[in-house]
Amino acid sequence: MGWKITTLIVLVAVATGLILSGVLNTPPEPLEFQDNYWGRGAKPTSLPKDHDKIQQISINIPDATLVDLNDRLKNVRLFEALEDVEFQYGTRVDYMKDVITYWRDTYDWRKQEAYLNTLPHYKTNIEGIDLHFIHAKPKLKPGQSAKPILIVHGWPGSVFEFYKMIPMLVDPTSHGGSEDDVFEVIAPSIPGYGFSEIPHKKGFDEIAAAQMFHKLMERLGFEKFYVQGGDWGSMITRNMAVLKPSVIKGLHTNMPNVEMGGAYVFYMMLGSVAPSLAGLTEEDYKRVYPVSRQLLFTLQESGYFHLQASKPDTVGFALNDSPVGLAAYILEKFSTWTNPANRDLADGGLEKYYTKDELLTSVMMYWVTGTIPSSMRFYKETFAGNALVTIGHPVTVPSGVAAFPYELSHVPESWCPWGYANLVHYTTMSTGGHFPAFEQPALLAEDIRAFARKVEALDTPKEKTPQ
Amino acid sequence: MGWKLTTFFVIVAVSIAILFSGVLKTPPEPLEFQDNYWGRGAKPSPDSKQDENVYGIIVNVSDSAIADLKNRLSNTRFFDALEDVQFQYGFRREYMIDLVTYWKTQYDWRKQEAYLNTLSHYKTNIEGIDLHFIHVKPKLKPGQTAKPLLIVHGWPGSVFEFYKMIPMLVDPTSHGGSEDDVFEVIAPSIPGYGFSEIPHKKGFDQVAAAQMFHKLMERLGFQKFYVQGGDWGSMITRNMAVLKPSVIKGLHTNMPTVQMGGAYVFYMMLGSVAPSLAGLTEEDYNRVYPVSRQLLFTLQESGYFHLQASKPDTVGFALNDSPVGLAAYILEKFSTWTNPANRDLADGGLEKYYTKDELLTSVMMYWVTGTIPSSMRFYKEAFAGKALITIGLPVTVPSGVAAFPYELSHVPESWCYWGYANLVHYTTMSTGGHFPAFEQPALLAKDIRAFARKVEALDTPEKVAH
Repeated sequence: MGWKITTLIVLVAVATGLILSGVLNTPPEPLEFQDNYWGRGAKPTSLPKDHDKIQQISINIPDATLVDLNDRLKNVRLFEALEDVEFQYGTRVDYMKDVITYWRDTYDWRKQEAYLNTLPHYKTNIEGIDLHFIHAKPKLKPGQSAKPILIVHGWPGSVFEFYKMIPMLVDPTSHGGSEDDVFEVIAPSIPGYGFSEIPHKKGFDEIAAAQMFHKLMERLGFEKFYVQGGDWGSMITRNMAVLKPSVIKGLHTNMPNVEMGGAYVFYMMLGSVAPSLAGLTEEDYKRVYPVSRQLLFTLQESGYFHLQASKPDTVGFALNDSPVGLAAYILEKFSTWTNPANRDLADGGLEKYYTKDELLTSVMMYWVTGTIPSSMRFYKETFAGNALVTIGHPVTVPSGVAAFPYELSHVPESWCPWGYANLVHYTTMSTGGHFPAFEQPALLAEDIRAFARKVEALDTPKEKTPQ
Repeated sequence: MGWKLTTFFVIVAVSIAILFSGVLKTPPEPLEFQDNYWGRGAKPSPDSKQDENVYGIIVNVSDSAIADLKNRLSNTRFFDALEDVQFQYGFRREYMIDLVTYWKTQYDWRKQEAYLNTLSHYKTNIEGIDLHFIHVKPKLKPGQTAKPLLIVHGWPGSVFEFYKMIPMLVDPTSHGGSEDDVFEVIAPSIPGYGFSEIPHKKGFDQVAAAQMFHKLMERLGFQKFYVQGGDWGSMITRNMAVLKPSVIKGLHTNMPTVQMGGAYVFYMMLGSVAPSLAGLTEEDYNRVYPVSRQLLFTLQESGYFHLQASKPDTVGFALNDSPVGLAAYILEKFSTWTNPANRDLADGGLEKYYTKDELLTSVMMYWVTGTIPSSMRFYKEAFAGKALITIGLPVTVPSGVAAFPYELSHVPESWCYWGYANLVHYTTMSTGGHFPAFEQPALLAKDIRAFARKVEALDTPEKVAH
């Protein structure tokens, strides 16, 4: 069926190209700030004087929640596994038994909570809902300034993914960097995720999030700042750059989104027979082809996406009511998206990359907050409004890409300018997957530093030497 | 985007056609009985004695399971709904709270269990696992014979769906039929569903189920019998007809599966501009077009299918651990698949068609048995082996179709011949959706009777077809 599969793929690509070039022919409307309100009921006609106050908070989950969790773990109804499967049918039953035992008997939430509280947490009310964020300020010497950077997580991630990397950014000299590499880090929870309030109205998508984060940074007094994101964070930060480029110093991403229209078909076909003519390096070629492998992977791995983009609440009932169910659903992604080969391992390869504590705390970010249903609605909202169309807007601010080998899809450097018109930095990483801040924090931190150095050098080309 | 969308669909259709015509050109291998074993561990040696007895059983769930269920219901962690939504984001919170209150305080499982036990339940070990089935024998007058009929459920259905229809089939004169319309009904639970054992090995698909049901009917002593099915039941029964047509008297389905290869594109294009030339009635046309509506519906409604066909165990943990979660997941289908317009109703339109007891018992069939994860694996297995290719093998036994308006997809009568070479009966129903035995039992029973009369008349042309 070889040539038939190829023909099919080509035709589907042509079809997609046609549809999307149709989208491009009518230039996407420019993104503008909207008059959004996500709170309950009618939008208030006036706001109280202190409506924009910023409150420091600490994470402090009630004992009752932990007792309830333990009860559920003790009373879990598991099921029998098929013989001779690893992770091919999804998260493996016998591995989950192991996880549950640890979670019930050894995992210490209060210790994890204390760890979470080693970074300062805040909340502030924007457009009717409370937005949670971490704000980590470096210790600066007199005269020293830090580069502000907003980092945005995705699904099923959270601000917890950044805990190993944030110290590297705010205290570079303790982590292999130089004094000039110091950042001030702001890491919000996307509304509907983590400790942020859940939007009460329909329509909270990646554009709405971008707008909200702009308002956050403005409220915090930043006139110009870097942004970094992967997964939804990549789309949200790119929307921020499109919405208001004047305040974005530079955009770094580990999961670039580009829209090539009809040219995609052409480049994919050319690249399959003459890679260098299509601008592909040898490594690009290995990551992009064969197309059938990529398509099969996408088909096998996008069931959750399809369900969440259509019926998030339907599956939300179960995931919000069963901690084991939630853990299985989330940990499958940490397994497969870190490295697809993990699907053939009995423990999903998880503990090669992460500790049990890290994995369970990642799950707890959704459990203790009850945010799994709302987090999944984000997928449906993407298709309801303009959010996808915005991929057609090129990002004009200085941009940088860190391309990890096991990211869900690979965009070659020469193709990035289709979405990032001002690409100044591209690193082909040799190790790492979809959660690099979590899995390879030093690599990602170093790349963010290197990118920022290049951007700073654009400002003052004479005095500074790019490192 | 009008012409572009049309071009897109045409191209997608052409692509699919190319792919499938390729499949057809290499004629699919004939289906054959395999040496299957679904039990734990190594297959017993052929010399060892297998237990082929049929045991009567009753449904009897433990008190502790019921107490545990009530506990879970009381401790459900709900979440806030968005404002101004009905069922568009999936099952609606407010209506679920309503259902859960009823489930906790008024739903009486023991009463439902007693109702389940009004039909006779059995189990028998086939290919290493215990197969559950209902077997209802009619009261016959001397000299009277009943037509044996195997009916097969689907997902997220169960044998419970058939409870209103079975009495109509086995006691026709009490339900608008004549004496000659009497059936003897066998209704198994697909392995991995309901009260059947869960297969322990990979690969239990719609071909494996067909083979197992053949062995069941043989063990019960039937030499020739009718089959009826919708959803997975349709695919399983068609596989039975392909595997061993000599024992299938007739096949009736409410969800025909046909494979038209490249011709599909041609007929769809022709039908969009000249319906009658493409063999479409006016009603066919209304149900098949516009293609965009059908495609959008498929896209919006097939997320569960995509997930289950790839990672059934991943979502299985939550669904097997949260009864409310299971109920939302299952009842969303009873809502949308009965009528798509139900998505815009605050209660999903469910109680227009079904009682709370019926809905909850449908859920309990998966909850008390812990079969939701295994039931979903059936989707993955469909793609792992040959199961889908068998759609390319035409059914040669006399076939009948009941085409309900809100079935998930519509196959016009003239197109049925692509999959059912010996179509003798086709009814265009004016009401009903994907679960007709449950929603419109009288309509479906009547159609099964009418179909069977036509098949019997083929044998003995002297009889006048009613």
